[in-house]
Amino acid sequence: MRVGVEVGGTFTDLVAVSDGRLVVTKVPSTPRSPDIGALDALRASGLDLKGIADLGHGSTVATNAVLERKGAKVAFVATEGFRDLLFLQRHDRRNIYDLAYQKPAPPLRRRDCFEAPERMLADGSASRSLDEAAVRTRLLPALKSGGYRAVAICLLNAYANPAHERRLAELIRAELPDLLVTCSHEVVREFREYERASTTVLSAYVQPVIDGYLDRFARTLASDGFAGRFTVMQSNGGRLPADAMRKSAITALYSGPAAGVVGAGRQVERSGFRNLVTFDMGGTSTDVCLVEDGRPSLAAETEIDGLPIRTPVLDIVSVGAGGGSIAWVDDGGMLRVGPQSAGADPGPACYGKGGRDATTTDAHVVIGTIRPGSFLGGRMMLDATAAHAVFQPIATRYGMSIEQAAASVLRLADANIVRAIQLVSTERGRDPRDYVLVPFGGAGPLHAARVAEDLGISTIVVPPNPGVISAYGLVASDYTKFDTVTRKMRLDEEAARDVIDRFAEMRVRLAAQFRDMGLSGDLAYTHTLEMRFVGQAFEVPVEIEAARVEALDAAYLADRFADAHHRVFMHGAGLDRPVEIVALRVGATLPIGALPTLQRERQPARPPEQARVFEGAAWIDCARYAAEAMAAGEAIAGPAVIEGYTATTYVPPGWSATIDEADNMVVRQINLPPEGEGGA
Amino acid sequence: MTLNPIDYAVISQALVAGAREMGVKLIRSAYSTILREARDGSAGLMDRHGNTVAQAELIPMQLGPIGETLRACLRRYPVETLREGDFLINNDPFEGGQHIPDVFIFTPIFVDGQVVAFGASVAHHLDLGGGAPGLNIHASDVYQEGLRIPPSKYSFERDWNGGAFERLVTANVRVPDLTIGDFNAQFAANHIGAARVKQLCARYGAAVVMDVMREMQDYSERRVRAAIAQAPKGVYHGEDAVDDDGLSETPLVIKTKVTIADDGVEIDFEGTCAQVKRNLNCPYSSTLSAVLSCVKSVLTSPDIPYNEGMARPIKVKVPYGSLMNPRPPAPVRARMVPAFRAFNAVMKALAQALPDKVIACGFDTTTAFCLSRLNESGYSVYLEIFGGGYGGSKESDGVDAVDGPLSNCSNAPVESLDLDYDYFRVAGYTLEPDSFGMGAQRGGAGLRRRYEILKDDVSLAIYSDRFRLAPQGLFGGQPARTGACSVQHADGTSQSLRSKAAVELRRGDVVEMSVGGGGGYGHPDQRSDALIDRDLQDGILTRDPRTRRRLAAE
Repeated sequence: MRVGVEVGGTFTDLVAVSDGRLVVTKVPSTPRSPDIGALDALRASGLDLKGIADLGHGSTVATNAVLERKGAKVAFVATEGFRDLLFLQRHDRRNIYDLAYQKPAPPLRRRDCFEAPERMLADGSASRSLDEAAVRTRLLPALKSGGYRAVAICLLNAYANPAHERRLAELIRAELPDLLVTCSHEVVREFREYERASTTVLSAYVQPVIDGYLDRFARTLASDGFAGRFTVMQSNGGRLPADAMRKSAITALYSGPAAGVVGAGRQVERSGFRNLVTFDMGGTSTDVCLVEDGRPSLAAETEIDGLPIRTPVLDIVSVGAGGGSIAWVDDGGMLRVGPQSAGADPGPACYGKGGRDATTTDAHVVIGTIRPGSFLGGRMMLDATAAHAVFQPIATRYGMSIEQAAASVLRLADANIVRAIQLVSTERGRDPRDYVLVPFGGAGPLHAARVAEDLGISTIVVPPNPGVISAYGLVASDYTKFDTVTRKMRLDEEAARDVIDRFAEMRVRLAAQFRDMGLSGDLAYTHTLEMRFVGQAFEVPVEIEAARVEALDAAYLADRFADAHHRVFMHGAGLDRPVEIVALRVGATLPIGALPTLQRERQPARPPEQARVFEGAAWIDCARYAAEAMAAGEAIAGPAVIEGYTATTYVPPGWSATIDEADNMVVRQINLPPEGEGGA
Repeated sequence: MTLNPIDYAVISQALVAGAREMGVKLIRSAYSTILREARDGSAGLMDRHGNTVAQAELIPMQLGPIGETLRACLRRYPVETLREGDFLINNDPFEGGQHIPDVFIFTPIFVDGQVVAFGASVAHHLDLGGGAPGLNIHASDVYQEGLRIPPSKYSFERDWNGGAFERLVTANVRVPDLTIGDFNAQFAANHIGAARVKQLCARYGAAVVMDVMREMQDYSERRVRAAIAQAPKGVYHGEDAVDDDGLSETPLVIKTKVTIADDGVEIDFEGTCAQVKRNLNCPYSSTLSAVLSCVKSVLTSPDIPYNEGMARPIKVKVPYGSLMNPRPPAPVRARMVPAFRAFNAVMKALAQALPDKVIACGFDTTTAFCLSRLNESGYSVYLEIFGGGYGGSKESDGVDAVDGPLSNCSNAPVESLDLDYDYFRVAGYTLEPDSFGMGAQRGGAGLRRRYEILKDDVSLAIYSDRFRLAPQGLFGGQPARTGACSVQHADGTSQSLRSKAAVELRRGDVVEMSVGGGGGYGHPDQRSDALIDRDLQDGILTRDPRTRRRLAAE
């Protein structure tokens, strides 16, 4: 049996799959010690831990350690003359008109920053060797007396030659064996010292937290009889054995959204869909990601609380549009939605817990797409009167009916989501019309059709149990590790040959790492070059086709680069300018083999109920179905509301829904005349 | 036709998103360090009349008067006469531009044969010719500052991509590869803006989109007027001064009279000193920009979109022939320096009306630091901008070591300089302890950079300010420290440079550049012990101010 346990901010979800049997459990999270919530979920599911072969885990432990500044006490060591790297940052401001602007705060103070006398150059030669005597007499005593749990080392140009970092780490370990030492070259072997230093410090900061958490969790599991493989999700969309993750903590940030993308992608791939825009709408935000040919797009960098993290992550864009997002009128008279959220407590007004703000969930109750008695499979009764009441001020202000006010709020929430999708598609040079939209999360399937219409997308695929896709992703994802190396070279035939050799070295290194993690099997590799025109500062990722990895030449690479550059920047093709390679990246993946099956629960067929939804400018009749009671192949024409155990799907007029053999609900735009619209 | 408020919200946000995307792509596809690393460029969308609608928030100085710059072009080439494929270009300080390096390019966006909008971009170009690479601090007129492009119309197809105009530019600049690359990044940014506007017009109709553009300006105007209505009415005065003109020792005094009335704010620069012989003159567009940035930052919340509507309730009067509105052919390269003092002068006036919303003077100086060398393969030019510390505010200490409020240049990673330049090396980059003014809220700290020169025949040119006149504190806060630049020569001698200087360097020389912090806000005695202890422990403060206080009390 394979089990995924995903600890979210509000709920801890569990999905267990074996031989077609599916167990879905949701319990409240326990933010103080998330492992308790995870164990609660395991107990509540009634599963026998001895029967679990594969336990995939995702949590917000690393993310919260940073956001709440609850990581280890960490020191930072830089090249002499550069101790303030983490405070100088990039000398810019994120909000240019804010007079009281404050920089993102690194997780340590200036008093925790130290220097080592040395200077490495960009070509890997040392203009000043490491002054070991000074390290012994000045740095080591300071580290010793500071009460640190971890130390992060980032020396200039260590990406080109890590010798000084290595030696410094040795000296520290010899003197202070209990101190966890993290070197920048082990975390990021790329240039740009601030970003590398930030990543290194954050990694050192969260590692003891992750280490302690996973250790405690693994022990409890073992004492309860668990003997299977314990794995942890990463932000790059793959997982690692928990033991390996304890040394690679930085990749544990944002693992939840990544698990959702992978889970959704894997599930809809069963129906043959491989080019996707995934769209995960939860309580406070919506995460979107582009999946091409079955592989989620990667970004080279992300950030947390304004602090940069240089590591390959799924290219997920988040906007403050969720079920709890609050509608408000700004002081210029414009109606806006989010990013403020009513959260889970008090939650939307319709929760009846004292919420007084109009949220998108309340809007759905008003327009009839959410039925008060069947929210979350009927586990929670909603207060429709309260939902109506909170829209009165907006209705009055704009001279609309309450229904129109609610519909307007939903349209604005949809527009926010549309912009997020444009960010990962049009802005990256991809046309969203070439993709299918895959909504999940509690609120995604309610909004999907409108979002699709705005983007010109004509096919939506809703996976079964869309509310627990992230937990499914934990057991549906492969093992993945990346290796990136900065190596600047002008593109010519010699460089192309060099790339072939370097890629081979990187594959060997990754294969060894997989063996060290106790993972055997045939690895699948992806090869990417970060390239740019000579003189530019930002690289464009250029994917190398598998068939060409051993047969690269300059002309092929120049062509691939020109295409990639033109797609993003709308210029560059045909430019007679020299091109350079800046970095090489290899991804290694060990496929998990046969996928566990995610499917709906089945209920006997029953006829739909009649209902009404507010569509366009008026109430129209529609049918209300239970997703669990639909028969495969049955086509349902919109307008229809399809209620499921974890999420509700709205099928507007002009769209039609069918459940296919993989249990995915395929919703397509059909060319029906728009009759019925504006009727009743 | 009345605009549906929801359509308005959706389309206006999409226009803002389009402008933001233009800015991102301008920077990311650029070539020169000044544009790609320092991000000294901006982009936006304008309506067909030349009014700013939406902007990528990059450099406030460039964004402010961009409408003036386009309208100077449209007066010569009315919008009805433009054809698809045309572009407008302008860098003329005396006809809507700012200083020579900032080249503005405008691309008309056509829908059904009609211009519905313009894509606009501006970049600070590393070198546009003139009397010295990158920065000619000795220029005594604008002709010595580089290629002046008056408001002009060209055809992209005919005149660029190997065409006559491109060849003219190429022939007149020292690093044509980078410069033409940066121009291309500007054209691409405009092209992207055009694509996004066309998509919106296709979906909602050009008439609706143009209505939204008009309403966005009205919206900003309403919000600014609402803020003005709440401000105390009256007449307020403020002044500040530039160290000197680089030749004499006389401070260049900038005076402002700010009148807050029911229907708007007027800023009058009567009494400001006359224009000067060196590059510290500030063209009218730049003065306007400094004033708008200050008024917007103080009066309104940061989320109000910066567009033409915002400027409507604000009137700016500047005597012709003064430092802040010079006659041609005055040199203007360092116009950021007087522009910052205008910003400070207006802020000091507003402090009397709105004490809770202003900040103390920061170091507030653009320090342009330029090293160059003629190699066998041509010129190599390194130009970087340093800011300093911000002034303290009612609620918080000023931010440490960032670019000043009118600018927003990033630093270049030291590792990227190590890769790109072989005639110098950065040997230190730190915060500058004790460089701020103390106060209930202290100013932000400045920064220090140390450069080792690795080859002979390297030229250094800088312009900065506040080497002699320190940023003042506010409401009892103390002044911050001044900046300095010194050279330790390989032969053992050393020299301190003026704030506007040029010097030849040899291998083994070391240059130390330090920029100061910001002034304090409120009396230092009101600063909490916890904050003083924190700063002492962090080593950003090295002397305990309480010791002197205790001694004084005894």
